[in-house]
Amino acid sequence: MTTLDKKPARAEGRKDQWSLLLVKVGKHQDREAYHALFQHFGPQIKYYAMANGMANHAEELVQEVFVSIWRRSCLYDWTKAAASTWIFTIARNQRIDMLRKMKRTSAEMPIETEDLWQIPGEHENEPVTSLHRLMSERRVRDSLKHLPEEQTTVIAKVYMESKSHQMVADELNIPLGTVKSRVRLALNKLKVILQDQNV
Amino acid sequence: MKSHHPDALILMEFSAGNLTEPHALCIRLHLDQCTGCSSRVDTLDSLGAIMMESQPQTDVSSGMFDSILSRIDSEPVGASHQVSIDAKSSRRISPLSKLLGEDLNSLPWKRQLGDVSVLDITDRFPGQKEQVVLQKLAAGGKAPSHTHRGEETTIVLQGAFADHKGVFNQWDFVILNQEDDHKPVAVGCEDCITLSVLSAPVKLTGTFGRMLNPFIR
Repeated sequence: MTTLDKKPARAEGRKDQWSLLLVKVGKHQDREAYHALFQHFGPQIKYYAMANGMANHAEELVQEVFVSIWRRSCLYDWTKAAASTWIFTIARNQRIDMLRKMKRTSAEMPIETEDLWQIPGEHENEPVTSLHRLMSERRVRDSLKHLPEEQTTVIAKVYMESKSHQMVADELNIPLGTVKSRVRLALNKLKVILQDQNV
Repeated sequence: MKSHHPDALILMEFSAGNLTEPHALCIRLHLDQCTGCSSRVDTLDSLGAIMMESQPQTDVSSGMFDSILSRIDSEPVGASHQVSIDAKSSRRISPLSKLLGEDLNSLPWKRQLGDVSVLDITDRFPGQKEQVVLQKLAAGGKAPSHTHRGEETTIVLQGAFADHKGVFNQWDFVILNQEDDHKPVAVGCEDCITLSVLSAPVKLTGTFGRMLNPFIR
């Protein structure tokens, strides 16, 4: 890979204002930047919690996510993931953690949520290049706009409402096979299915 | 060389955080050794972020930012840095070692029949319903023919096994169901150890039909 190849993606990466703000929080504990991130992502995370059936704990989840963002912001590396992706993975993990705490009786599990679900950039063994990540983020964003609504609806239910493909099928009253083929078509267009298949 | 990968649909359920812990563990162990699937999950995580962004939003209460700030201020100086360092060093240990220690071969295996040993580790995952078992097929050994009543998610932790569908090497991932009537054989010079998550007990089809055996359960 030549340096020339890298430049446009890096320049593009820098244009993402949320990632820039998150870097400021990580490097300088910048509270203004932190507040701007809160105003942008706070309401998204609250909706995420509500959609997931955690209406009674929605604000608690937003708080936990933001405290966690503050604590680990020094680990954030904009070349590894956009701020939005990084924050999504934190919100997802805090949701899993919160459900775990509510469910658990007394027994503790030796494995933590983050041993299973990783936050991008926090691992030594990450082979994927920054260029690849930035490109795929942009590609997903662009191609998502062109997906038919029936495909995005299914994906939204999986991501926002933690529904299995079977639950989505039951809710929409369509066969499981139809749900799966909608997801497959979408993932194909987003190049998730074919990408690096031969690695 | 890994040749059996999780399907993109399962990777999506993983990325969405919808899999149970034992299933997520099978995926994690594969991802840690597979660049291709790992990069697909990165893309899927971005998809999750973009879905979250494109949904409606819900206003947060007016005092919330202040309470977050006071929580942050109440933490000792340097706490966040320490949290990060701890997070990083803790992540270096494989979840498999955290769960089972370093040496899979010295676990308290229970010999079942012939070449098969098992260890039920369901109790390491409190609060969920699936059965989680480790299965060991001695080097060169054969497991009796069997089919699966429910769905069995398997990852190879050591060695390799072969059946009519092919060879499954270390970190290969496979889901078996009712249609898979197979007779696995351990190949290579190491015992083959697998981790399996079972949604329902297996049905034996061969001569050993009446014996209970999780390699096959």
